[in-house]
Parts: sequence; C-alpha cells; structure tokens
Amino acid sequence: MTNLSLLTDQLHAAAPQTELLTSVGDLRRFAVDDVTPQLVALPASVEDVAALLKLAGEQQLAVLPVGGSTELTLGQPPERYDLAICTARLNALLEHEAADLTCSVQAGMTLADLQQRLATKGQFLALDPPNNEQATIGGILAANASGPQRLRYGAARDLVIGLRVVLGDGTIARSGGKVVKNVAGYDLNKLYIGSLGTLGIIVEANFKLIPRPEHEETLLIAFENASAAMETVIALLSSVVTPTALELLDPAAQQSLPEQARAMLPGPAYLLATSFSSVAKAVTRQLADSRAIATSHAGSPRGNLEGTAHDTFWAAVRARQIGPVVCKVSLLINDVAPFLAEAQTICQEQQLESSAIAHAGSGVIYLQLGPADALDRLAAAIGKLRNLALQDKGSLVITHAPTALKAQINVWGEARPDLRLMGTLKRKFDPADTLVKGRFVGGL
Amino acid sequence: MAMDAGEKATLVDALSAIVGARHVLSSDYDVMLYEYDASIDRARPDVVVFPASTAQVSAIVKLANQRQVPFVARGAGTGLSGGAVPLEGGIIIAFQRMNRILDIDYTNLRAVVQPGVVNLHLSNAMTPNGFYYVPDPSSQKSCTIGGNVGENSGGPHTLIYGVTTNHVLGLEVVLPDGKIVEVGSPTLDTPGYDLTGLLVGSEGTLGIVTSITVRIVHQAEAVKTLVGVFNTVDDATNTVSGIVEAGIIPAALEMMDQIILQAVEDYIHAGYPLDAAAVLLIEVEGLRDTVDEQVSRVVAVCEANHARAVRIAKDEQERTLLWSGRKEAFGAVGRVSHEFYVQDGVVPRTKLPFVLDRVNEICASYGLRVGNVFHAGDGNLHPLILFDSQIPGQVEKVRQAGFDILKVCADAGGSITGEHGVGMEKSDAMPLIFSDDDLDVMRRVREAFNPHNLCNPGKVIPTPGRCADIKLLIGQERSPAYAKAEAEGAWH
Repeated sequence: MTNLSLLTDQLHAAAPQTELLTSVGDLRRFAVDDVTPQLVALPASVEDVAALLKLAGEQQLAVLPVGGSTELTLGQPPERYDLAICTARLNALLEHEAADLTCSVQAGMTLADLQQRLATKGQFLALDPPNNEQATIGGILAANASGPQRLRYGAARDLVIGLRVVLGDGTIARSGGKVVKNVAGYDLNKLYIGSLGTLGIIVEANFKLIPRPEHEETLLIAFENASAAMETVIALLSSVVTPTALELLDPAAQQSLPEQARAMLPGPAYLLATSFSSVAKAVTRQLADSRAIATSHAGSPRGNLEGTAHDTFWAAVRARQIGPVVCKVSLLINDVAPFLAEAQTICQEQQLESSAIAHAGSGVIYLQLGPADALDRLAAAIGKLRNLALQDKGSLVITHAPTALKAQINVWGEARPDLRLMGTLKRKFDPADTLVKGRFVGGL
Repeated sequence: MAMDAGEKATLVDALSAIVGARHVLSSDYDVMLYEYDASIDRARPDVVVFPASTAQVSAIVKLANQRQVPFVARGAGTGLSGGAVPLEGGIIIAFQRMNRILDIDYTNLRAVVQPGVVNLHLSNAMTPNGFYYVPDPSSQKSCTIGGNVGENSGGPHTLIYGVTTNHVLGLEVVLPDGKIVEVGSPTLDTPGYDLTGLLVGSEGTLGIVTSITVRIVHQAEAVKTLVGVFNTVDDATNTVSGIVEAGIIPAALEMMDQIILQAVEDYIHAGYPLDAAAVLLIEVEGLRDTVDEQVSRVVAVCEANHARAVRIAKDEQERTLLWSGRKEAFGAVGRVSHEFYVQDGVVPRTKLPFVLDRVNEICASYGLRVGNVFHAGDGNLHPLILFDSQIPGQVEKVRQAGFDILKVCADAGGSITGEHGVGMEKSDAMPLIFSDDDLDVMRRVREAFNPHNLCNPGKVIPTPGRCADIKLLIGQERSPAYAKAEAEGAWH
C-alpha cells in the first residue's frame, strides 16, 4: 500500500488508544494461509473496535478479527486481508457473580486466565478446547472450539448467555443478557458462535458457570477393536451414568499420551477413557458401573487416573485435536466405528499415516493425517472420507491443513442449500464486506 | 386489513385445492376459535387451514405470498405471549394433522417429530425404554413441540438440562417465501451459521418448522422431591441462593407464595400448608447412592434459612400430587380470580428477594392482588396479577403494573421474558433491555428471512407508531377454545 503512513494516521485519529503494529516480523505473526496483513491494530476499547471497523469500511480494507491465533488455520485462504484487529488488550474480567453462577468477560482474555480467576470462587467455565493458554474467549466462540467435556456440558452455544459484538459496519450490539434463562428477541448468540468473524467481532461474552466438582476420575479401558469400544459407549449412554467425557483413541493416537497412561496400555489396542466428575461417592459408583458395562462388551479395564495424572492425560488428549493435517468428522455415534475402519482402509490405499481420537459420546472424530506434503493423496483420501460422512448425515471439516492442500480440496466441503440464507445474513451484518471474505463456508 | 368476501372466497378455494375442502375453516363461527392463544391478546384470522405435509405447508405459504396475505403457524394455542394470534388477520396454519413421531433412535439418542406432536406424547412414547425428552413446559399435556421450538419453551426441569434450544439439533423449515430448507442435522456442529439456533425462539417470524430433530436422554436412576415451608418470602428466596451457592444444582427449584398456595390447595388438595408465606418445591435426581445425600444438604440449607418444616415426598404418588399442584397453579388461580395477567421476567437469582418485594409493592400501589409461582432456580418470575375488568380503569392498572415489574427486572440486570416469548404484548418492553442498535440488528435478521413481513407480522420487535392499534382485549367473553385450553391444563 502506497499510503500506509496516511492510513496509520487516520487509524490513530479514529481510535487514539489503539496500538498499531507495522514491522515485518509482527505482521508475519498475523499471517493467515500465507497472506500477510498490512497492519495490525490492538484496540484498547470496544469503541475503538467500532471506530476501526467504520474507518476500514470507508477505506475498503479487509479486516480479520484475531484472538490468540490458535484457530487461524480453520477456513479457506482469505480473498483479501489488509488489517488484523487483535483483541489481546480487551482482556478484563468484567464481572463474576459467583452466587448467580455467571460471569462477563472481554473477548481477549485467554481461557486459562479466565479459569484461574473463576477457580478462586470454586467455579469454572465448562469449555475445554485445546491450547487454553493461548486461545481467547472471542476466538473460541468465533471458531466454536470445543473439547471432550462437551458430552456433559455442551458446547459454546449451550454456555453463552449473552454477547456484545461489533458488526462489520461498526454497529455495537448486544444479544441475550446476563441471566441464565432468556427468550427476549432473536437468539443472535447462536448466530455469532462459529461464524468465524464473518458477521462481526465478538468483544464481550457472558457465560453460565458450573461449580467445580468435588472429585474427577478417569477409567482407562482397552478394547481389541473400535466397534466393541463404541458398543460400550452406546451402552453407557443408555444407562444411568452421566460421563463427563468418553474419549476413544486408536493405537496411533496413544503414542503422545503421558507415560503413566501408556504404561497401563500394553500392546496395540483401542483405548476408551471414561471420565466422571461429581461427589466422590457418585464417581466411585459410576466407575464401577462403567467397568461392569465395559467388561460385558469385551473391554479390559486397565486403571484409573486422578489428580495431576488425570489433568495431564486430558491435556494430552486435547492436544490430539491439533496437527499439521486434521479433519473433524461429525457423525451419529453408531456410525463412528464403521467410519474409523473405513478411514483406515482408505489411508492404507493412499499410503497415508493416520491417527484418530473421538469424543465418542458426541460422535465427533478428530482424524490426523500425514505426511502433510502428500497433497494429491491427502485430497483423494479426504474426498472419500467426506463422502462417507455425508452419506451418514454427517460432515467433515478440515480444521488444520497446509495452504496448498486447501487449493485442492475445500476445507468445509460443498455448501448446503441453506447457504442462500447465510449469504443474505452476511450482507445484512457486513454490507460493505469489511470483514475478510473467502474463509468461511461457501466463500462467506 | 380485513379481506372482502370475494377475496376470501377465492382464497378458500385455492387453499381447498391444496389440502382438501374438509381441512379449511372459514366461517365466522369456526375461525373465532382461533383468535386466541393463552395470552390476553386476540385477533381473528380470515381462514384456518390444516396441512398434512411439508409440501402442503410450502404450497400454502407460496399462495399467501402471491396474494400478499399474512400467515401464522399455530400449534396447540397454549402460548402466553400471543405468538399464535394473527394480529393482521390472514391465514392460520394449524398443525393438528402433522402430529406424528417420525423416528425414535435410542442408539443415537435422537428423535424426529412433526411440529404438531404434543410435548408429553414424545416422552410417554419413550417411557417403556427409560428415555425422555427434557423440556417440560407446564402445558406439556397439550402444547406441541413445534410451538415449543417457536417460543424456545422452558419448564421446571430445565434448570440443570437447559431449555428447548439446547435439545433441538436440526429443523426442516418452510421459509417465508415458501421454499423448503433443512438447517442443522442430527450430527453436531453442522458447518455454516447455526440457523437452527437462530430459528428456535424466533416466535414464528422467520419461517415455519415442519420437522424437528431432537436429543433424547436416559432417565435418572432416582428422583426425590421435597417441599420446604417458610414463614417469610425472604427466607424462601434466601434458600434458593443458598442452595446454588452450596454448589447444588437441583433438577427443579420452584416457589409458590401464599396466594398461590391457597388457590392450589383448594383445587388439588396436595397437602400444601395454607398459612405459610411461601414454599419451595425442590427436586433432586441422580444416582440412588447419592440422591439422599443431596437431599440432606438441601434440607440443611432450608433449615439454616428458618424453614418451618421440610417434607420429603415418600412415594411417586405423593411426588406426582405435589407436582400437579405446581403445574396446575395457573388453572387453580383461575378459579379464585376470573381474570389474571402473568408476567415472565427473569432476574439474577441473588436479586430475587429484592425484586419480589418490589413486585408486591408495585401491585399494592395499584391496589391489585398478586400471587407468585415461579422457577426460582432460574430467577424466572411468574407474578399473576389478579383483577376484575368490570372495575373501571383496572385493566389499565394491570398493564401498567406489568410494565413496572418488567422495568424492575430489567434494572436488576435481568430480562423481560424467560420462556413465554415477547410476542405482541411485550414488544413494547424490549427497549428496557435492548438499545435501538440492538433492535435494529434483530430487524435486519427478520428482513433477511421475512422481507415482506407476511410471516407472523407484528411480533417480537417493536414497530414504532403501531402500538396504538394493538389493543388489549382483556375481559371480553372467553371463547370456547380458551375455556378448553384452560380445562386441559394448557396453562403454564
């Protein structure tokens, strides 16, 4: 851009408290799919965010909201990307009404930071995506990131009670509120969650919270194959136990587990980790039920994890949601085992390495594939896997991939007929296309 | 707005060609039954049509578009905010005939239903297998799941498990232009915007749902219900906060004050004390091994807050009786006062003592009696203001008191509606909690889906300058449909 210094002056005038980054090194840190922005802005207030978006609209700059940069690999490459608006300085906990089990937080606070503050009053936000040290609240919501505990507590859509968003045209708007039950007006929270910054920039979020459980414990169960493990999952969900997470790991995915857990798993086997959180007595009872159900489905209970070992184990599991090439596959739970078997065959045919974990009770698989430079084979395999998922009323989204692979296969897959509505909504919220286009479903 | 006789006759013919003449009502006598829901508003449709399929719904909506006639979807008409009342006349699309459970998949924990399925019928169908559908509005014996989706209905047992939106995964929708589209799916995280989440609770203004995919869950192993009896309302509300603060989230946590207790006891004979200031109806569920422990913790909190007595239901029969007292409370009050008006504000749980005092003060200042029966655990109030429209000026006082109560809720950091919906009557109160910009964004959403505003016009978002046309028609003679809904316990 020829008049970068002019633009910098204008941005400073519009939002004086905003910090601007222009050095090559800084800009490179904000690159998305090899596209580097011209400028990075770190606003200090919600009003600054609105001023920046309005100016960007006038100057026809393409803006990408950025939090902790943990989910930037999600999406197709941007059509254009001029200005990053980073929420890092909007990182205050605005309210924590412990007695009401709610909180209000700015979007730039990291999840780990928020959890630490909530823990001082014995509570937590029941979202457990990977990378909680870096991932910000706004980024997690925009990407609809989740983790194994969604089985018990739901995902972002179930925990957010209110949002404050700056739309593409600079309008500052609230949706929802601060109370746990609320049907006043359209539920726009749902619309913003998972919209990947295409409708607006999330600047504040209100959540419902949960008291920290008295006890958490995980039972590790080995199975010879995925279908026996999934039969166990189905049996558990049709019983009176209420697991916090039910995670299935194939043999390859277990390589990165902590030593203590691996020591419990001799030989190649599928691992089902069943986790419970409640009062100690309830956990004990549910672990006993789980052992009995697993044993009757040819499972072999291997041992229990609690305390630090429990936390380290689950952090390692969550880390398996990230990698050079990762596909997130959503299925009905009864389709998980056949899909995993088919995936193995397809990967062997294409001479690809693969490893899989699944939030088994939710029907969500994270499939890591490699090598990352085998573009043709990856695209061929993923195409077949996607068709399988679609046949089963599911979906396959490539959450992590080298940019070159995205040129060969769309990360979202073909858009569905409701794309027309989504396009209309996008135009209503961001009429000048100020927010970066091209990354989301159907090129939105 | 009214249709002339010739226009109406051709509309009836065209609708008859779609669904068959038997399934179209158009005489004044017949359509009068459809001018109500369970709120205080009324407006008469020109025609009522009963489609049997999605294709028929689509054809009806396309016809309405060609003729520029407004249309409104209707389930059982149990709504409490006028969602199914055809404010501008036109066509009521009634879903009595689309009442089939299409699929129950116990393995994958999903069910697919048509919108006219009665809420309780779905759970009843699964009882033998030990599963149920969680949202349980008090009108669940008659309200439909399609209506629940429209209003994002709650119920006493949504405290721990969430409301309708948390249990709906996918929808088939006839859009306001008549096109049929599927949003969401039985699997999680469908790529794209969460249109399912947007449509749930849109009060029939963004489209008409024709098929609904929901989650189902296994029943808990054990359930215990108890009643705490208090000499002051403050002790009861402090107990609510105390329970939540102790880290206990019961399955249900309901409160009834003295006026309600007396009405309920006179009607149901559940054994509620007549002289108590308030009772809490508390339910805990979970594993057999731990429910008793939870009960003792709840009892301890009740006692710490000066409960006069705590009674634990000894068997399923007593539990059902206590719950019928709660679920029939509105009907019971109907026996005491011919007319009453219910509000649905929500406040943070800790503000309950303050807000309840204000509710009582407000009503007293207008010389009105008020009873409170509500979802205390959610902070979701249901003040029932009793009145007599024969007394000149009283209707206006009731309206004003209702608005003042919503203002108190808004000022306390709450909302104007927790589960009944905005509809017609509360759209004027939307500015209490939303700015002009907030409301403008909602208007943009409506324009995206419903640009000609033929699909349930006049709801949710305030229409500047039109309020004078919206008359409250309290105190007119009850229609047969109203009486029927009341008799069936369609009240919340």
